[in-house]
Amino acid sequence: FPWFGLDIGGTLVKLVYFEPKDITAEEEEEEVESLKSIRKYLTSNVAYGSTGIRDVHLELKDLTLCGRKGNLHFIRFPTHDMPAFIQMGRDKNFSSLHTVFCATGGGAYKFEQDFLTIGDLQLCKLDELDCLVKGILYIDSVGFNGRSQCYYFENPADSEKCQKLPFDLKNPYPLLLVNIGSGVSILAVYSKDNYKRVTGTSLGGGTFFGLCCLLTGCTTFEEALEMASRGDSTKVDKLVRDIYGGDYERFGLPGWAVASSFGNMMSKEKREAVSKEDLARATLITITNNIGSIARMCALNECLNVVMCDRVFFIGEVKTLHMWINLTEDKHGYYLEVEEKNINQVIFVGNFLRINTIAMRLLAYALDYWSKGQLKALFSEHEVFLT
Amino acid sequence: MAECGASGSGSSGDSLDKSITLPPDEIFRNLENAKRFAIDIGGSLTKLAYYSTVQHKVARVRSFDHSGKDTEHDHEPPYEISVQEEVTARLHFVKFENTYIEACLDFIKDHLVNTETKVIPATGGGAYKFKDLIEEKLQLKVDKEDVMTCLIKGCNFVLKNIPHEAFMYQKDSDPEFRFQTNHPNIFPYLLVNIGSGVSIVKVRLSSVERVSGGAAVVETEDRFEWIGGSSIGGGTFWGLGALLTKTKKFDELLHLASRGQHTNVDMLVQDIYGGAHETLGLSGNLIASSFGKSATADREFSKEDMAKSLLHMISNDVGQLACLYAKLHCLDRVYFGGFFIRGHPVTMRTITYSINFFSKGEVQALFLRHEGYLGAIGAFLKGAEQDNPNQYSWGENYAGSSGLMSSSPELCPSQRARSGTFDLLEMDRLERPLVNLPLLLDPSSYVPDTVDLTDDALARKYWLTCFEEALDGVVKRAVASQPGSVDAAERAEKFRQKYWDKLQTLRHQPFAYGTLTVRSLLDTREHCLNEFNFPDPYSK
Repeated sequence: FPWFGLDIGGTLVKLVYFEPKDITAEEEEEEVESLKSIRKYLTSNVAYGSTGIRDVHLELKDLTLCGRKGNLHFIRFPTHDMPAFIQMGRDKNFSSLHTVFCATGGGAYKFEQDFLTIGDLQLCKLDELDCLVKGILYIDSVGFNGRSQCYYFENPADSEKCQKLPFDLKNPYPLLLVNIGSGVSILAVYSKDNYKRVTGTSLGGGTFFGLCCLLTGCTTFEEALEMASRGDSTKVDKLVRDIYGGDYERFGLPGWAVASSFGNMMSKEKREAVSKEDLARATLITITNNIGSIARMCALNECLNVVMCDRVFFIGEVKTLHMWINLTEDKHGYYLEVEEKNINQVIFVGNFLRINTIAMRLLAYALDYWSKGQLKALFSEHEVFLT
Repeated sequence: MAECGASGSGSSGDSLDKSITLPPDEIFRNLENAKRFAIDIGGSLTKLAYYSTVQHKVARVRSFDHSGKDTEHDHEPPYEISVQEEVTARLHFVKFENTYIEACLDFIKDHLVNTETKVIPATGGGAYKFKDLIEEKLQLKVDKEDVMTCLIKGCNFVLKNIPHEAFMYQKDSDPEFRFQTNHPNIFPYLLVNIGSGVSIVKVRLSSVERVSGGAAVVETEDRFEWIGGSSIGGGTFWGLGALLTKTKKFDELLHLASRGQHTNVDMLVQDIYGGAHETLGLSGNLIASSFGKSATADREFSKEDMAKSLLHMISNDVGQLACLYAKLHCLDRVYFGGFFIRGHPVTMRTITYSINFFSKGEVQALFLRHEGYLGAIGAFLKGAEQDNPNQYSWGENYAGSSGLMSSSPELCPSQRARSGTFDLLEMDRLERPLVNLPLLLDPSSYVPDTVDLTDDALARKYWLTCFEEALDGVVKRAVASQPGSVDAAERAEKFRQKYWDKLQTLRHQPFAYGTLTVRSLLDTREHCLNEFNFPDPYSK
């Protein structure tokens, strides 16, 4: 004790803290002051410093972990503030607790030295992907306070009828895992110990946030998403109907599909006519569309090459309706193969999707539309903390 | 790409400003007998195609069989050269900015003499907007043709007919341009067209049996299917670029990008890991998140850096998708087209890099020398289907063609000084279709030239100088070969100037017409001589 799990990403640090609830009287006496104060500090606050946040709604209660019973807390803060965290560790004498700090993510390597020299703490570095896969399986197995961990959207395009429904990960393998952080990593998981990184893309959450900041002047991720929810991306993007006056039948593209993201911004008048919200939305849609596109292609490729890539879990933002506009494989027979082989689900994981309901719904719709119901977008409640 | 500068109804005041300062008869050549027009109007550039005939002298040799004759007559020459007037069919393509469209159409109308053409096939996003203008000026009916169909037709045509049309671009190798020999069987291939958006098309050849004139005929037809695409393309680069850097012109954005440092804006693997990610084999300077640094800092980013980052973002994304599709369809060659590239080295470089990275070197990125003309060529071919242009062989006319990157500002500041940029491509129809010599074991790997001057700089210098020095002699011979001609000297001087200019272009841009060889230098000279009606300077 204390039991911590750290994932130090490019933009965000995710901390998981296990609060034991079954402390016996003896243990309590032996407990070191610093340990008590740490526990108190973490559990009685929801905000730490100016940027740390504990996601109370995600707290897992009455969990049994390694023979102990307790609650699992989820805390996050920007990687930017990592030095402050290390400093805090030093101030609160973490090193005297002789605890091992298990850490993963790029920062585990980057900050290893700092942890040692400033905080006098030894980091136990764990492989990121390993953690990701184990995390997802674990979290599904424990459920979410009695509810299912994984969910998907029914009728994602319809604001009124859209429902979030639970999904049971009975047979998880093989699956395609898409981790959306600052950048995106795509993994093919064949069994709990057999997986590989298929590819990745640099157009991820960091891109969305970065571009939004540059285009709209927003300062937080939440602000960017909030703006996006109020915008109209069709003013920014050039749609198929803007070029062809309707559907482009030759290619089977509907008029509402995006032909060119930000394509309308080539014109001065149009640039002057759009709002920040429109720009934010267009950025969101562009990035999500792209991630979905690549994930889908990977699912197809892996399926055909290796194993039946049965499920592609979507843990991510379903951002746009237009996401897989361009992927009309279903018209040309490739999808039939996919359907036979039962590619079902795609998981997107990552911080990007955290609170983006619109995105999630839209992604689900697009997936459904293009796959004619075969692909389901599944989401995980604890998407951010799976590692 | 429906963004166009000029509106259909330009006032005459406007067209004065946009008047072409370069003598138009140097651009629109051989207009009198032009027939069969086609036009491809893009977002900012228009390509006009027309078919015309060129009358010129050709030297024909007739050899006599003296074997059976008696020796008294053996003072007769063994062969005779007769110079005849011949007519060659030639395709002309002219590329110019949309702002000049009205002036160009006016010029064409004024000089069009014999034409029975009633219809002009038009393609491209701008065909919509300029339809009325074209119909009014040229008195031709506009037939709209599908963009992709034209593009594919054009692509197949150039790959089949123009030697060294396709090339690979490797920035740090020497030579940078690697031209591909025309593979006899190019199908199937993947064409990625990066216009405003990205279209990925698979082109195949399929056999179709038709009944023609009572007999069953098997014809091969090029077929293509759209297999995917992306909305992140040239329009995204231009749109986001304009928003972020306040730069309005596409070429300027590229220019900014060529001077930027994307590492200031992008988050690299080493920024997250403090070095490379060894387990996954990801090197430290790979981009982990595009624009990943632009959120956290409260500083300003330079236009150049943002433009570069955008370029990488889009090139990498297109490259990745292209590789995924190529893999799915088991193709190892991807041809790139579209206005995003336009022969700009920085773009070709980023795309090539991306393809190499995502396919681990298994897929090749190929570019086309005449990429900008594909739509116009295709539209033309569609309109000329009756004439069956595919049954002929066509060759590039070096005298009349501008060459690759002649309008690239980085390379040719002198050419930029002209108002507007006019690019030309001319293709002559050859008398007989060309076929590979049947004795060749493997036509696709056969290279007839012993020296590659694009590769061997020393040899290139030598040969260019050699041809420069020989020019005087050739000019003299040309004049001497036509003693009866009044204007021989004048024409010879024009030839001298033209060929000299070509040699200088080749000095600075050896890749302008594909692989440079001694043979191509000779061909160029011959085309230039022919242009000024000196079919055979050595005939006397």
